[in-house]
Amino acid sequence: MSAPAIALAPRQSRIVVVRLADSAEVIGTLSLIYGALLVIYPVSFPNLIVKSWERGELLPVMMLFTFLLDTALYLRIAQRLSAKPGMMAAACLGSLPLLVVAGASFMLQRAVKYTLTSEWPNLHARVGEEILAHTYLALVAAVFLPFLAIRLLQQFKNTV
Amino acid sequence: MNNWNSVKWLVYLALYVVPVFLLPWAVSRSWVHQRGGTVSYSPKQLFERGELGLLSLVLACGGIWDVLRSTFAPQTIATAAVLLAMGGIMAMTVWVETFCRQRSGTDWHPQRAWRDSRSLALFVFSMAAVVEILLDRLSREGAQ
Repeated sequence: MSAPAIALAPRQSRIVVVRLADSAEVIGTLSLIYGALLVIYPVSFPNLIVKSWERGELLPVMMLFTFLLDTALYLRIAQRLSAKPGMMAAACLGSLPLLVVAGASFMLQRAVKYTLTSEWPNLHARVGEEILAHTYLALVAAVFLPFLAIRLLQQFKNTV
Repeated sequence: MNNWNSVKWLVYLALYVVPVFLLPWAVSRSWVHQRGGTVSYSPKQLFERGELGLLSLVLACGGIWDVLRSTFAPQTIATAAVLLAMGGIMAMTVWVETFCRQRSGTDWHPQRAWRDSRSLALFVFSMAAVVEILLDRLSREGAQ
């Protein structure tokens, strides 16, 4: 093939290769912010989360937040590597954050039911602590697990 | 901060940062000084093979141990323990991968190993810190 033909041939862009460190940085920052809010506002921040859970707003807000965060992170990686997003990764990022948050919500319902049937004193406050813990764990899982899934899929296939 | 009780978390964070970063750096400086050398090694050089991943696994084990002893609901304990374990294992994998690449002569990038292990160490460290804050809050609720 001549040099002009090579130059004119459509350039094949690479597909994004995700590393777990990319999502780990975001989770670390998210965790530090969550921890700082718990320490600096020990009453008002937990109240905000518990109240929004009682009103049923916490689940959709978390789904939207994690979905947007995961998508933004993936697009940032793609931009940094100058690579194009893959179909499998898009499918993972489109479905897994929502599934993980829904699963965490189901676990929270079970945990609240378990706490309310226990004989601990100050049950209302304990339920609040369970909600706080599950909110944090759901945030971590909804960012970490989709990228872990993509990373593991990359091991089997060279690129996702 | 509402009370001085919150300051203890700064001490808690320092307790992890000092042995992981500062102590090895200080020991390496002392070692070089004893042998009359003039070079000094940065933490990046000390942990360029992803050793922070191994320390992260130890930290994750500590967090899991505390979670298992807590009075959270079993569902919460299981979720927190599994996530901490996954973070610790993935951090350790960075060291394993770097070791295998180095030994097998495959392309080995110290920059990448350092970056990956540092990011995953931050993940495990910050997650363990939040879990400890949540455990502290729960124990105070139980004491009331």
